[in-house]
Amino acid sequence: MDVTWITDLIGNYAAVLPMLILIVGALLLPATNYVFKKRLPVTSIAMVIVLISLVFNILLLTGTVEDGGVKSAFAHTAAGLFAYDDFSGLMILLFQIVLAIVVFVSGESNETTKLHFGAYMSLLLIATTGMMFVVTAVDLIGIFVGVECVSITSYALVALKRNDPRASEAAVKYVVIGGLSTALTIYGISMIYGALHTLTIADLGLALGAYGYSWAFILGVIAMVAGYGFKIAAAPFHMWAPDVYEGAATPVSILLATGSKKMGLAVFIKVFLVMFVAANALSGIDNDPMQYLFAIIAAITMTIGNIVAIAQHNIKRMLAYSSVAQAGYILIVMAVMSEYALTGGIFHMFTHVFMKGGAFLVVGALIFAGIGEKISDYNGLAKRAPWLAFAMMIFLMSLAGVPPLAGFTSKFVLFSGAIYGDDGVITQWIWLAFVAILNSAISLYYYVKVIRAMYIEKPAKDAKADLKLPKTFCVAIAVCAVLVVVLGIYPAPILDLCAEAASVVFAI
Amino acid sequence: MFVEYVWLTVLIPLLCFVIVGALGTRIRHGGGLITVAGAACSFIIALLASYEFFTSSDYSEVGYVTESLEWFTVGFGSTSFTISIGYYLDSLSCLIMMFASFISTLIFVYSLGYMGDQGIKKRRYFAEVALFLTGMIGCVTASNMVQMFIFWEIMGLCSYLLIGFWGFGHPEAKQKASAAKKAFLVTRAGDVCLMGGMFVLFFEMGSLDYVTIFNGANLAAADPEMLALASLLIFGGAIGKSAQFPLLDWLPDAMAGPTTVSALIHAATMVKAGVYIVARCFPLFCMNSEVMLFVAIIGGVTAFFTATMAMNNFNIKKVLAYSTLSQLGYMFLALGAGGYLFALGIEEGSEELMAAGALGYTAATLHMANHAFFKACLFLGSGSVIHSTGTEDMRLMGGLGRKMPITSITMLIATLSIAGFPFFAGFWSKDLVLDVAMDAFKDAADPTCYVFILLWFLGVVTAFMTAFYMFRLWFMTFSGKARENAEHCHGESPRSMALPLVVLSVFALAFGFVLLIGYDGIFTIELVAGNWIVGGQAGEPGFHWIEHLFTNPYTYLTIVLVLVSISLAYLMYSRGSVNPGKFNKDGQSLLYRVIANRWYLPEIYDQTSWKLGYGVAKCVDYFDRNIIDGSVNGLANAVIGGGDAVSKAQDGNVHTYSAVVILGIVLLFAVAAALVIFYGVIA
Repeated sequence: MDVTWITDLIGNYAAVLPMLILIVGALLLPATNYVFKKRLPVTSIAMVIVLISLVFNILLLTGTVEDGGVKSAFAHTAAGLFAYDDFSGLMILLFQIVLAIVVFVSGESNETTKLHFGAYMSLLLIATTGMMFVVTAVDLIGIFVGVECVSITSYALVALKRNDPRASEAAVKYVVIGGLSTALTIYGISMIYGALHTLTIADLGLALGAYGYSWAFILGVIAMVAGYGFKIAAAPFHMWAPDVYEGAATPVSILLATGSKKMGLAVFIKVFLVMFVAANALSGIDNDPMQYLFAIIAAITMTIGNIVAIAQHNIKRMLAYSSVAQAGYILIVMAVMSEYALTGGIFHMFTHVFMKGGAFLVVGALIFAGIGEKISDYNGLAKRAPWLAFAMMIFLMSLAGVPPLAGFTSKFVLFSGAIYGDDGVITQWIWLAFVAILNSAISLYYYVKVIRAMYIEKPAKDAKADLKLPKTFCVAIAVCAVLVVVLGIYPAPILDLCAEAASVVFAI
Repeated sequence: MFVEYVWLTVLIPLLCFVIVGALGTRIRHGGGLITVAGAACSFIIALLASYEFFTSSDYSEVGYVTESLEWFTVGFGSTSFTISIGYYLDSLSCLIMMFASFISTLIFVYSLGYMGDQGIKKRRYFAEVALFLTGMIGCVTASNMVQMFIFWEIMGLCSYLLIGFWGFGHPEAKQKASAAKKAFLVTRAGDVCLMGGMFVLFFEMGSLDYVTIFNGANLAAADPEMLALASLLIFGGAIGKSAQFPLLDWLPDAMAGPTTVSALIHAATMVKAGVYIVARCFPLFCMNSEVMLFVAIIGGVTAFFTATMAMNNFNIKKVLAYSTLSQLGYMFLALGAGGYLFALGIEEGSEELMAAGALGYTAATLHMANHAFFKACLFLGSGSVIHSTGTEDMRLMGGLGRKMPITSITMLIATLSIAGFPFFAGFWSKDLVLDVAMDAFKDAADPTCYVFILLWFLGVVTAFMTAFYMFRLWFMTFSGKARENAEHCHGESPRSMALPLVVLSVFALAFGFVLLIGYDGIFTIELVAGNWIVGGQAGEPGFHWIEHLFTNPYTYLTIVLVLVSISLAYLMYSRGSVNPGKFNKDGQSLLYRVIANRWYLPEIYDQTSWKLGYGVAKCVDYFDRNIIDGSVNGLANAVIGGGDAVSKAQDGNVHTYSAVVILGIVLLFAVAAALVIFYGVIA
């Protein structure tokens, strides 16, 4: 489809059009809340805004522009700061999907604020806008500002569940650790500037080739890894995550676990992957030490996440640790640094949205229905809410990687990316694939524990037979469950998009 | 225009499965009518698509039509391979698609009456049979091996679920559940072989699409030994699915399911899939004459041994089960003998041998279709009998002919057909099968051809025994005087059960006449780079086979044998003038006991698995308990303990968290420094 009319209309700012729409929405929403004073109309308006932004992004992502008779995919740079290409477009799509899920269920959830609902919605939109700016930024400063935009709004989002002391505690921890990470990040960025004399992402590889490794550069990379590792919840920077996911309202947990985490991974890909691959391709710089560094982080992250998840009794904490492990799987991309692995990594980010988001939605729906967050509270759920239990089983099975669900397909592509390089030769990272597969097996233990509780254990004596479930949650859960099955069976369309995005990243 | 929509034949039953499975309890008849309608739609589409396929010159010249979507790609760049999903339609898939959906429709109609009293269980039944049909049609219309295997496994799952349908809440639940498990496990052994065959084939050919792997040029270029290995492994899958020797023990036990399920498994689906896969891979199997010889031996031996087992069994369903095995043996015999001649023809470049071999393919597929009709009729008839007498033991029946006229007449027609009585459907195909076995002996100039005279002999003896045990069944059930349960039989079954019987008996009577109108003229399979078409004697309708049959003295030999054995059965079981006890010392003779114990095959399995297996199992068990379990338990304890320890380290204090972050950075830097120094990237 021809999208030239968009560029004709707003010129190069088309690259940031999805964000502009959300920013306008974020400004409007507090006012609409002031007018309507109810959650439903505010949610509807927010949903419309999100969908408009989503539609424009899909147009830009799949459309072509015509310039002097030459048709090409839409790729623009706005104000020399933000560049839109297939990779950033796909990541923006991911964030918009997360936002759409979160906004859709926020209006009915009993965990979100009623009093400050307009502000809450506005913060959601701003946080997502920040994520979008991060994936389009062309230099490290742009990335830094975008990440801060997300961090600061998410501190507030966590704290907005005001009647729960756990939320306040989580928010304070989040702020303190977040502040530490920000400090580390900016320290790392300044070290890198000192070592490479540039902050433009596209030039980093060339500069690394010119100046070579130096201790200042290594220190800068480590500090940045720590700073953004906090967003990803990569071990050992993950410890805030369970407290915050547990304390925050479930929709906010979804935003953090599936959105903000992907932003961190996108930064890793945009900055480090591109830099090292370019340095290697252009100047023959040896990547191996850095690849091993990321491989060790990936292995430790997935192992810690899975092992600690076993010991959890609270389902939200368990899902938080499982998120840590999933981030570990995606970090395989950083170790392997191949196009095929990156395809798998991006695809896994997508499937993770639906399976982890779906699992959190089930938790949220059950909290609404008055069921606690302990795994033992789920005993006999299959009798009380058969469809919900079935959906939960699908999400958990998918997270564990059971075929033919989405989690299996994406893990399959991702792990086989660690086994076969782009040239079809078996890579040195096969041990990492082995660790990941072993981890998947371990993870089955704690996922099945929940399924066992739902299907085999008897419900408590005083349990009511039928539960009153929130409708929006049910709709969102159904959509996620269908997508988990469909993406597992027929992944080709989205996998093609992922492959295109990966090839854009590697087109250096 | 219908061929493009042939995928609907798979999708509609699948949809029925979903609808009935999800909402069955809220619909009348447990969703039975939906399933019937779905199967009927599927049949109509199959019929239209097949009609178009056979009549349109676009398709008949090429011999197949295929269309696929890319499903997903594994790997990257030049090393990747794509798995597609699509349909592949040729005369073989048309034939099976049509009779499977047609017979399934009739069986589902029959089930409305037969399962009518099952209440809430009907939902499960109708959902599962719909999925069963999906599996079968999906299996025969798939465009590549992977897709075929998925549907193959769906069928395996459904057979497990349906054989174990009464696996709980039934007086004999335990036995039924174990029969289901047996069916599942034994066929699994075959499936592992099939999977292995697919791996070998993929390794050798680099693809699993039918168009690629059955292309003559590709086959000729491949390593014949690898192809032989692949063929044997794929045949292993067919042995499991079609219950051939030595994996035949599950099928008689599978009678534990409802009789309609037996009809479905034996006539329309499941066991036919094994024959299908060998017929589908005919071009592949034909690359080695030894492979085809092996197929023929397995078929002939199974046909003979299972026929003997049917001779003295008193359970009406078990007799039919053994007869299915025996008839499937015939099909494999025909495929093997035909393929053997064909393979020799390819080696010697002789068109004549290839033409003679092509007859084997025609005979096998025709017998498969005929068998589908008469076996469905027989099983549904026996179901009708069991429904009204409440027993499966033929010694408690008798004289039902007067009380259940429709059942008895339709079953008589099907019995005549399976016995090979002249001009009934079974006669044509069975004599073609024997004819092919004889040809394989006469025409082949290979020393191995003497095997076929033995196989032909086994086949003729089997024909004799088939006529005997089938009429024994019919006479014991429907003629003579009524015994115990037959006395309080409450007459003919309801109309929904009688109607399918009548329809099926018409086909059991007349389907063989398709030979006259050129069945093998259109029934073709493209072989070896498209320069040879099996059965495709263009411009020459199948009439020449008829001529061939009736100028052949061996045909008259089998006719005489069949008539003799029918009279023998009449004398023994209807008039009672010959006491069967005379031949077997009243059930004391060695042979009788051997046969009654299924040639001690179950014992042999049990003994080997017990003595050999138990010894091995003990060693493995020791190893497992002390070494594997020990390490796994140790690891698990360590993991869980580690989890506890690490989660205790997470004490919730924010300064601990910060300290961990800082410590992590220090450690990471140390690691990075070590790596950098190790690789020497910083001078």
